[in-house]
Amino acid sequence: MDQEISAAPFLEVRGLVKRFGNDRAVDDVSFGIRRGGFLTLLGPSGCGKTTTLMCIAGLHHLDAGEIRVGDATYTSFATGEFMPPEKRNIGMVFQSYAIWPHMTVAQNVAYPLEIRKVDRAEIDERVNKVLRLVGLGDMAGKLATQLSGGQQQRAALARAIVFRPRLLLFDEPLSNLDLKLREQMRVELKRIQREVGITSVYVTHDQAEALVMSDEIIVMSKGRIEQRGGPRDIYAQPVNRYVSNFIGVANLLEGHVVRVTSPGRGEFEVNHGNERVHLPCRLGEGVSEGSSAVLSVRPENVQATRDKGGDPCLEGKVLRSIFLGNCVDCRVLWGGFEWKVLAHPRLRLQAGERVYLRLDPEQSLAVQP
Amino acid sequence: MRTEAALGTLEAAPAAGCWRSLITQESVSTVVASVVIAAVVLLPLATMVVSSFRVMEGFGFSSHWGLDNYRAMVEDRVIFKAFINTLLISTGSTLLATVFGVSLAWINARTNCPWREKLEPFNLVPFFLSPFVGAIAWHDLASPKIGLLNAWAREFLGVQGAVLNVDNIYGIIWVTGIFFTPLVYLFVVGSLRRMDPSLEDSARTTGAGLLRTTLTVTLPLVLPGILSGAIIVFVSTAGEFGVPFKLGTPYGWETLTTQIFSKAVGDDANYYMGAAMSMTLGVITAFLVWIQQRIIAPRDFTTVTGKGFRPNVVNLGKWKWVALGYNLTFVLLAVVIPLLGLLIVSLHPVWQGHIIPGDITLYNYERVLFWWRPDHIQAATNGIINSVILAFAGATIAMALAIPVSYMIHRTKGYGSRMLDFLCVVPIGFPGIVLAMGVLITYIKTPLYATIWIILLGYITRFFPYGQRNISSIMLAISEELDQSSRMAGASWFTTLKRVTLPLLKPGIFAGWVLLFIIFLRELPMSIILYSTGTETLSVGVYYLSNFENEPLTAALSIAQTVILLVCIVVFRRLAGREALTA
Repeated sequence: MDQEISAAPFLEVRGLVKRFGNDRAVDDVSFGIRRGGFLTLLGPSGCGKTTTLMCIAGLHHLDAGEIRVGDATYTSFATGEFMPPEKRNIGMVFQSYAIWPHMTVAQNVAYPLEIRKVDRAEIDERVNKVLRLVGLGDMAGKLATQLSGGQQQRAALARAIVFRPRLLLFDEPLSNLDLKLREQMRVELKRIQREVGITSVYVTHDQAEALVMSDEIIVMSKGRIEQRGGPRDIYAQPVNRYVSNFIGVANLLEGHVVRVTSPGRGEFEVNHGNERVHLPCRLGEGVSEGSSAVLSVRPENVQATRDKGGDPCLEGKVLRSIFLGNCVDCRVLWGGFEWKVLAHPRLRLQAGERVYLRLDPEQSLAVQP
Repeated sequence: MRTEAALGTLEAAPAAGCWRSLITQESVSTVVASVVIAAVVLLPLATMVVSSFRVMEGFGFSSHWGLDNYRAMVEDRVIFKAFINTLLISTGSTLLATVFGVSLAWINARTNCPWREKLEPFNLVPFFLSPFVGAIAWHDLASPKIGLLNAWAREFLGVQGAVLNVDNIYGIIWVTGIFFTPLVYLFVVGSLRRMDPSLEDSARTTGAGLLRTTLTVTLPLVLPGILSGAIIVFVSTAGEFGVPFKLGTPYGWETLTTQIFSKAVGDDANYYMGAAMSMTLGVITAFLVWIQQRIIAPRDFTTVTGKGFRPNVVNLGKWKWVALGYNLTFVLLAVVIPLLGLLIVSLHPVWQGHIIPGDITLYNYERVLFWWRPDHIQAATNGIINSVILAFAGATIAMALAIPVSYMIHRTKGYGSRMLDFLCVVPIGFPGIVLAMGVLITYIKTPLYATIWIILLGYITRFFPYGQRNISSIMLAISEELDQSSRMAGASWFTTLKRVTLPLLKPGIFAGWVLLFIIFLRELPMSIILYSTGTETLSVGVYYLSNFENEPLTAALSIAQTVILLVCIVVFRRLAGREALTA
């Protein structure tokens, strides 16, 4: 279920293909984003997300497709049009921040305005304003090398927005920061983006980051788009096994849909030793009666108890149980399959114990393999 | 709630002024640079190849195609002997330089020898001086008849005849070995310093003692550095002209380089023969450099890590004074004693092997330096002026070329940049005298011949790669994202170069300039082939004095040249810092 863009998209990428040698790093990618929106390209290394970003920036040429922003065509392979990166008015924050070491923070941020021949008084005013916005108000005179990682990051952001670009691109900007700082900067970046209102495309491999920051997420794999949607939709309704596994943690059981009971609901058949077990579930996109599918169940949606009770449940043995504070991470062996379960800490499950697992049909989703 | 008021309204969309991506500032400059470099580098080599297959007839007014030149290399006794001598000298010097270089590097990088930081610049000084001057100095010290050391031995030790004799192949090996020791030293000391100490520590924790660790862990890791240094020294000594010319030719020892010289400007001038000999020498050296670049250098794992380490230091105990003595002896032998000897000789009007305090005078310096005096020596004063001009212009032009070329090699992708990279390495494989032959034959019928411009062209062709490598090593360390973010901020390719790339390259540019300045000031093999009356260089001036005037005048100009070079070394170290000389 991907969202249709309500208004005409501000940034539009159509049929983008980029090859390196014989390898298609980006393979026919199309998407759009509305003005002011925050879109994340999410995927592992090599999935094509950074290459896509570089194509939008104009730092790479295309092998097919088109990139348009507003009413301007930035690149069109078909017509041969190509606008050089310095003419595109796109702000970009790089993974290494790329703060120039031979200039101060203020000089770094002033650079784009100097290129645009803004007069000195206005430059100073705008630089100070944007430095205050990112929280570096008192760092203007410092040399780039005197800043910490987080501060360099903010300076890079300031430099990217000071010239009021039409589009803001982020290339994994938080991956060089330590965990606590990363969590803090996620929220900060999002706040600044909201306040300033610039359309943004953000590239990351960290799915938690994507979930926290985005209006919309595009999950990519091997140069292609797997799924596009809002954070909650992607998390709850992954379209296939890959997305299911990439976002959050999931239990993935191979099997097939044996029948459809009502629109969007059905029964999933999975082999358990010599038996065939039927589990009621919701049906994801592209899954119909008889089709091979994968049952995706999040660990927090698997209930574990010691008593068998009367209703249908799965009997398994606890392999290990790790206390995490607010929950217990359990692995439960059921036939040949190892369930990942997040159990309540008061249960104190021990390795070797027999437990009974219950699934909520509304939280079990059959997705494409 | 969005507030566009925070930053004002967004800029309007840019006008539809797009253009085809093929013709950009970047691509045009790359093509132009490639064509220029290809012409400058490949033309002399191509001419030389062609000329080597032409055989001179009669007195040189006509020629035909043939392999006679190459056959003469084996059949002509003199030339064949020269070839053997070249091999012997190169092997001997390489061994000597390697022994000195490795031991000094180890002492400096890995032991607690006292004052080792202060000694290091002195270990490197011979690299910057002229080996030709070194040969002259040792001739004045240790030749049988007029050598100062021999005279002292006769006077104070009662020895009959001569104790030392450098006017032979052993003298050549001694002088070249000492002067090229710093090359091996630089390769090895870099390797030793950059090595991760945990590699040796882990061997020690498994029970290996110091000796076994050194032999089984340290040595294999440093071996590529040692081999690289040895190959470069071998190649450099094979192409060395000044030392065999001073200590060999007058006494019957010829080398390929001295033979090439005589075939170019001697009585039996035969450019085609010279070309054939140059080809032979050039192919051998190019092959060896190729091996060093492609096979040995990539296997040097100690240079791969980026972290800084504090390597293990061996405590020598009482032996540290022996190490200090060894290092001081090297500095004495390589720098102090020869220079002192030269100084003494230069202060006498005539040199016969003894110090005569009553004769001490500065007259020689006046004749050699003061160009306004009527009794000045034209060749010497020309030499100073011409060399300074050439060094200045040459270093500037070469660095100006090196910057865009380096940029193209490291910042653009594709076939063009790889071709440029290759073209820039080619001149390194050929000795100066070989390239000079090529330049001579190529431009002999052009107006460039017999002017200072042909020398300038030769210098730049031969030494431009050194400037380029200096810049490249810095450029590799500058992240590409620094340039990309400048483009995204709105700066054109050219503005980015001016405001971001060049300022960051500044230290490398200055260091490279001074290095080239030094190299050009002391250059001999190319100058001696390409000069003519009026366009003498400093080293040619020294040669002229040595051939046509006397020892003291030669010594005076040599000291003058050395002083200028020493000043440049100090400037270089100031600008470049300690790490800049790593090969």
